Amino acid sequence: MKTNYLMLHTITRVVSFIILSFSIFLFFAGHNNPGGGFIGGLMTASALLLLYVSFDIKKIRKVIPFNYPVIIAVGLLITIITGLNSLLFGDPFLTQYFEYYNVPILGEIELTTALPFDLGIYLVVVAIALLIILTIAEDDS
Amino acid sequence: MNNIVLLPVLIPFLVGVILILFRNQLPIQRFVSGVTTLGLVGISAYITYLIYQDGIITLELGNWPAPFGIVLVGDLFASIMVVFASIVAAACLFFAFQTLHPDREKYYFYPFFFFLLTGVNGSFLTGDIFNLFVFFEVMLISSFVLIVMGGTKYQLRESFKYVVISTFGSMFFVIAVALLYSVTGTLNYAHLAERVAEAAQQGQSGILTVIAILFLIVFGLKGALVPLHFWLPNAYFGPPTAIAALLGGLLTKVGVYSIMRTHTLIFTHNQDFTLTIILILAGLTMFFGVIGAVSKFDFKRILAIHIVSQVGYMIMGLGIGTTMAIAGSIYIITHNMIVKTALFLFCGATEKVTGTTNLKKMSGLLKTHPYLGWLFFVAAISLAGIPPLSGFFSKFALVLGGLEAERYFIVFVSLVVGLLTLFSMVKIFMYVFWGSPSLSPEEVKKTKVGKLLIPGIPLVIISILMGILAEPVYLLFEAAANQMLDPSIYINSVIKE
Amino acid sequence: MLQTVTTIVLIMMSISIFICFIRVVKGPTMSDRVVALDTIGINLIGFIGILMIIQKTVAYSEVILVIAIIAFIGSIAFAKFIEGGVVLDRDRR
Repeated sequence: MKTNYLMLHTITRVVSFIILSFSIFLFFAGHNNPGGGFIGGLMTASALLLLYVSFDIKKIRKVIPFNYPVIIAVGLLITIITGLNSLLFGDPFLTQYFEYYNVPILGEIELTTALPFDLGIYLVVVAIALLIILTIAEDDS
Repeated sequence: MNNIVLLPVLIPFLVGVILILFRNQLPIQRFVSGVTTLGLVGISAYITYLIYQDGIITLELGNWPAPFGIVLVGDLFASIMVVFASIVAAACLFFAFQTLHPDREKYYFYPFFFFLLTGVNGSFLTGDIFNLFVFFEVMLISSFVLIVMGGTKYQLRESFKYVVISTFGSMFFVIAVALLYSVTGTLNYAHLAERVAEAAQQGQSGILTVIAILFLIVFGLKGALVPLHFWLPNAYFGPPTAIAALLGGLLTKVGVYSIMRTHTLIFTHNQDFTLTIILILAGLTMFFGVIGAVSKFDFKRILAIHIVSQVGYMIMGLGIGTTMAIAGSIYIITHNMIVKTALFLFCGATEKVTGTTNLKKMSGLLKTHPYLGWLFFVAAISLAGIPPLSGFFSKFALVLGGLEAERYFIVFVSLVVGLLTLFSMVKIFMYVFWGSPSLSPEEVKKTKVGKLLIPGIPLVIISILMGILAEPVYLLFEAAANQMLDPSIYINSVIKE
Repeated sequence: MLQTVTTIVLIMMSISIFICFIRVVKGPTMSDRVVALDTIGINLIGFIGILMIIQKTVAYSEVILVIAIIAFIGSIAFAKFIEGGVVLDRDRR
């Protein structure tokens, strides 16, 4: 009997985007509220995992053609360079800076160096979670 | 503001991350990693010089003030350890260039090599006990990868045991940190030292002693003290020699370093009890380690078990607890890092020549490979403690310190163990290098060993120099020991009021 | 009044989670276990909602969403496992 995944595919196409937008919300909420790079990354990873579960690995690899170890390295590099940034100003490693800016449409926003740091963590978490799951999945059979 | 103390942690991490991107370009990986390790030796030596000149250097990460944020503290002991760890790492790396199979190299050997170095240097330099746990984990996870790399059946079986035991140890570590935090309410070394002294006066001495012993168990598991050493010989036998030399030279020393740091700085409230326990463990470790080495007939296994026996010497100085004994302890840790790595590298060269590590299957290498033979001989008698090499002076300081403190029994044990060490080294030398050559002349021509010896030669030279220049070297270590025995120097340089 | 009600509800939900747990351990078939696990997830969501009422806060709302998403993906993965025997297909034709 040939199984039919029509319902799963239809739901996945909608739900994965909801999860992705929620993960971006969590990522930006992270500075002063619960959230941040780690949990945002996990949510993104679970959205991508949903795609992997409902479609197959080969198809999604065509859609997301990234080499996960490289993403881990890039994420770590972003994190380290954010920390190194403070050496330029003569402060200790990992010192964080923030400033308030007025942007035309958004109004007053706060820009921090913690944001790129979190972005690095986000990339590392996404890549590691998917790398572990896919390695285990490809190991059997 | 002294960011220089961060460099031994940051540079290996950064380089390790960058090398992930160059997975398939082996020449780039080799060149970058070689330059980096040599640079690290220079930087750490410069840091040691600065600390020797100006006293302890601290760095408050993220500009958060000391008891609340994480601090990196470079005192003399820590920076000396960083220097020797860098030397050992450089030697192992240059040996790995020649012996490691390219498949292993491509499977992220160099990134994990540098992550291991990050963990080791971080454990030496950190001034926060939870941060120590983090760096321990960085180090352990990298060592898991390095030990299992290649994936032979033996490696998989033994490294699984190693992983389980290490994870168990880490669990105890977290429990001990939690207990310590619940009693004192802080995690900073310097702040802990103050709070522990206060809490001990308020009648909490008992629970603090329990925590001290818990930490001793945790670090003893990593540092291979005798009742907890069983994982070590098998785990270090499996991987290739370059990796075994790296792990044997660095990992146990981090455990020993942590024992010495916590028991000289933090848990000073009930030293009669804790130091006696350490002394008993030191005696057991020395004795059983060397007995294990005497009974084996395999080159690599003898060296691996010898690590255990040497760990006993290292904490014996701490157990005696006088300035001279602790200086001797530092002396023997550094001497052992150098010499043990050199011996492992020569073992690897022998394995490359003969294709085996079984002592009974080889003989007569002295005639065919004289340089290998004599270099091994120098390193071996240095380990056994023959003057004028570094092993002699380190044991001399320990024994003299023990006699001054009237700890006669442990001195006696250490002398007997020294004799047995000499015996097992001579056994290797006789089996491997004496007798009629086991290799035919064609086989000798095929295996060129000259290049393999290059990483080992600087180590042997350092060992000889540490023996000949014993006076200035000892004075440096004595300064480090004085710094350790007076916790107020450390506390005042971290918490500035 | 509200305090009493919420406390009683919390106790009942705990019992419900415990019963589901028994089903997870005992469950004669795989499907029973999966349904019970899913029910535990939903119970947890309700649990946290009631905690939010008790503590008069909205700080845990993200937690509810996260648990819901993870429970959803878990159920789908289990469902696929029961039907086809694999969770991640390498190449579906």
